[in-house]
Amino acid sequence: MHHANHFYGHAHVLARYAGLGTGHPPRINGYVQHGWNIGDGLAPGHPYAERTPSLLWSEQTRRRAWSVGRRNVAVIGAPFAYLLAMEPGDPPAEERQGTIWYPFHGWEGQHVHGDHKKLITLIRETEPGPVTVCLYWHEYGMRKVRRLYENAGFRVICHGYRGHWWKDTDPYFLDKQLVELRRHRRVASNRLTSAIFYGIAAGCEPAVYGDPMVLADEDPTFGGTARIRRQWPELHGASVDLPTAVAIARDELGTDHRCTPAELRELLGWANLQEEPVDH
Amino acid sequence: MTTETAPADRIVLPGGEMLTWSDLPEDRPVTAGALAVLAARVVPAGASVLVAGPHDPALLDRLAHAEVTCLLRGYPDGAALAPRAARVVVGGPAGLGDEERFDVVIAGAGLDPIESVEGARLGWGGVLDRLTRVLRPGGTLLLWAENPMGLRRLVDTDPWYARRDDAAWSVTGVLDIDHPANRDQLRDRLAGAGLRPDACFAAYPDAGARALIDADELAGGATCGLFDAVLHDVGGNGFAAATVLQDPARLAVDALHAGLGAALAPGWVVLATKEPASGPSAALPVALLQTGPGGDVLEVVAGPQGWRWQVTSTARSETPAAPFATREVACRDLTTLDGQPVPQGRLLRTLLLDAALRRDLDGLRRLLRGYAEWLAGQAGADGELGGAVALATVDNVLRTDGGYTLLDPSWQVTAPLNTEVVLARGLRRFATTLVTGGYAHPWPSTLDIAGLTVVLGGVAGHDLSRETVSAAVETEAAVTAAVRGLDNEGRGVLLTELRAVEPTDPPAGPRSYQQLHEAWRRQREELTRLTALLRWTEELLTSRERALRRAEVKINLLSGSVSYQVGRFAVTPARLARRGARAAKRRVRDVLAPKPQEGQ
Repeated sequence: MHHANHFYGHAHVLARYAGLGTGHPPRINGYVQHGWNIGDGLAPGHPYAERTPSLLWSEQTRRRAWSVGRRNVAVIGAPFAYLLAMEPGDPPAEERQGTIWYPFHGWEGQHVHGDHKKLITLIRETEPGPVTVCLYWHEYGMRKVRRLYENAGFRVICHGYRGHWWKDTDPYFLDKQLVELRRHRRVASNRLTSAIFYGIAAGCEPAVYGDPMVLADEDPTFGGTARIRRQWPELHGASVDLPTAVAIARDELGTDHRCTPAELRELLGWANLQEEPVDH
Repeated sequence: MTTETAPADRIVLPGGEMLTWSDLPEDRPVTAGALAVLAARVVPAGASVLVAGPHDPALLDRLAHAEVTCLLRGYPDGAALAPRAARVVVGGPAGLGDEERFDVVIAGAGLDPIESVEGARLGWGGVLDRLTRVLRPGGTLLLWAENPMGLRRLVDTDPWYARRDDAAWSVTGVLDIDHPANRDQLRDRLAGAGLRPDACFAAYPDAGARALIDADELAGGATCGLFDAVLHDVGGNGFAAATVLQDPARLAVDALHAGLGAALAPGWVVLATKEPASGPSAALPVALLQTGPGGDVLEVVAGPQGWRWQVTSTARSETPAAPFATREVACRDLTTLDGQPVPQGRLLRTLLLDAALRRDLDGLRRLLRGYAEWLAGQAGADGELGGAVALATVDNVLRTDGGYTLLDPSWQVTAPLNTEVVLARGLRRFATTLVTGGYAHPWPSTLDIAGLTVVLGGVAGHDLSRETVSAAVETEAAVTAAVRGLDNEGRGVLLTELRAVEPTDPPAGPRSYQQLHEAWRRQREELTRLTALLRWTEELLTSRERALRRAEVKINLLSGSVSYQVGRFAVTPARLARRGARAAKRRVRDVLAPKPQEGQ
């Protein structure tokens, strides 16, 4: 199984949904899309074995992947959609408070460049209630960046470590994210990212505004942030139309394509397991 | 002309006979066929009938109410049919007397096999003139004409212009303008011969005709589920053991959807009245369909309320009941069908294939959920389905305006079946069609047939287990054995074959070059995938082994450190104490555990 299948505990969520318990998930026969993206569903530069199934979130991504030469592409929906199936019941709006704000994050190999102070000012001007800023573990570990947000009076959190090469994966990363999202009335970011779609699916009102910041050596193949703003203008702004956002999130997370447990076991290659369970 | 009476005294040899030639295959199954039912319908009681050319003996049996004269070119065929006819003329068309007149002339094998190698050649037009001459005014001609651009020619692996068989002493085809090459030409030629064309049926898959469908209705019924199911069936079964260029069933159904079902039919059966004709032509069925192992013929007749089934009695009584009949899981009761309306709608298989090709997952979900809910809605309190609906599959269910319905509910189970098994059977049939047929679809090639069935079940909203799919395979073998009239051994062979189907296999039925090529491509793609996966796995293994070595070096390094040795020395008593406590706990548990009683 590709190690990216473990990012954010995706394989763990899918294994729980498929009825395989909370232990170490078995190998997946394919690549599970590990984040919302505007390309073929796979992260750029990931080693790819030809015709190994790409297990994608949405029908649109499937079409795009096919058009760039990927084969054996199947839509299963986002792991977050499976988590929602296991943890139904969004709290009502009156039990939610404030905004959870996700500054766009880089990762271990690519850092973001941008003005956090300007962003903080804009957040203060825009958000009506208390703000929780959720930093990616990488930025959360950067004391300087974290202090900036803390000094602004924001609650600063991190959902956990997404893991790398099967190491230190937090199998409950998405669970923690869902809990936090359900505490808030709004979800916002300076880029349209997975977190915005997760927030919409978890019952938050979305907003995308502010400097999208620049990712070092950002791959321009699929058009970058400019294309995202062109293709999804409805989701950009401090306030967006909620029903439209809900419908788009449903498509992008592939909620309607969520498989049944037995169906998922077949598609992930878990129907006839050869390996012994590994306790982890 | 010299006339010689043969020992059988019914055989007349006017000259031009072929003494050792036969057009009748020796091992032909005795079935009446749709053509025979149509022939019986147009022949009035007591009429004089000329049956020109080779015909299935069963057709003559259906004309027992008339006085039949056969015209054959081969003497062995004349001897074979003599017991069934009042008179057999063995010779070319010139052997018919100038003064002879018939009420009905039947040329159900076409005009070419009426001509003998002996004597002058008349050609297609000459034979038509000859047969028209012996027809009384107002009499009926029933004629089969091969379509030189028809389905059979289109899928044939041998070019029509390179025939080498003994009957190919003269090769005719589309270049011969004496032969009509389409329906319009056929109509014009009949009119030119002094006949009034009354009806034209598209005849599938050959001259024997398992299915005769009104050509105009077929041309206009592009989305008709009945025609879809019939053409798929005759396209598959009609070419069962043949090697063909492409799947005839697919081509026939594609032609139907393009409005070319009649234009690309393997042949046509026309009914024409010799002028001067009095009165309008009689009402005829929309379709005559041979069905089931007994060769039953179902008719579809048009009425003020739409199309209805009409059951025609057949020679089923001649087929002895199978000794295993009582153990069959399914049986047929045609009487339930008689007079019932023929449902209108699109065939579920076609709708599903279309959605799969377009990778329309939403459409597939709607269709399959609707199908599963329709099945479940008819289940009893125990979750079992009985009657005809227990045999519903995507191949015999129509999507109608109001939901789903069975096309032909005459087949029924003898004991109820679990609803999940019924659903799994239908889905597995579709999965097999989809994968072995080489259709594009939205799922990965890593799924086997059972896996794809489970996935389809999920799309239908049902979490099917592989055990349920396995039970569905057994039901499939049992039902198919009942429908085909197979014995226990045949059923066992079928079950083994069904279980062995792999996604890289070509489909069952005709060996189509196109589908064999497609199966080879699937195998090649799987090899490509597995080779790439193996390479990737090797690289990953190397990387993991390297990581393991690094970890071992680190462990060894730490194991040798002073702090490790001191720590180990400190925890050793605790480790030994814990081991002792565990052993004591185990002994106590063994003592307290209840002992099994003897004899159990």
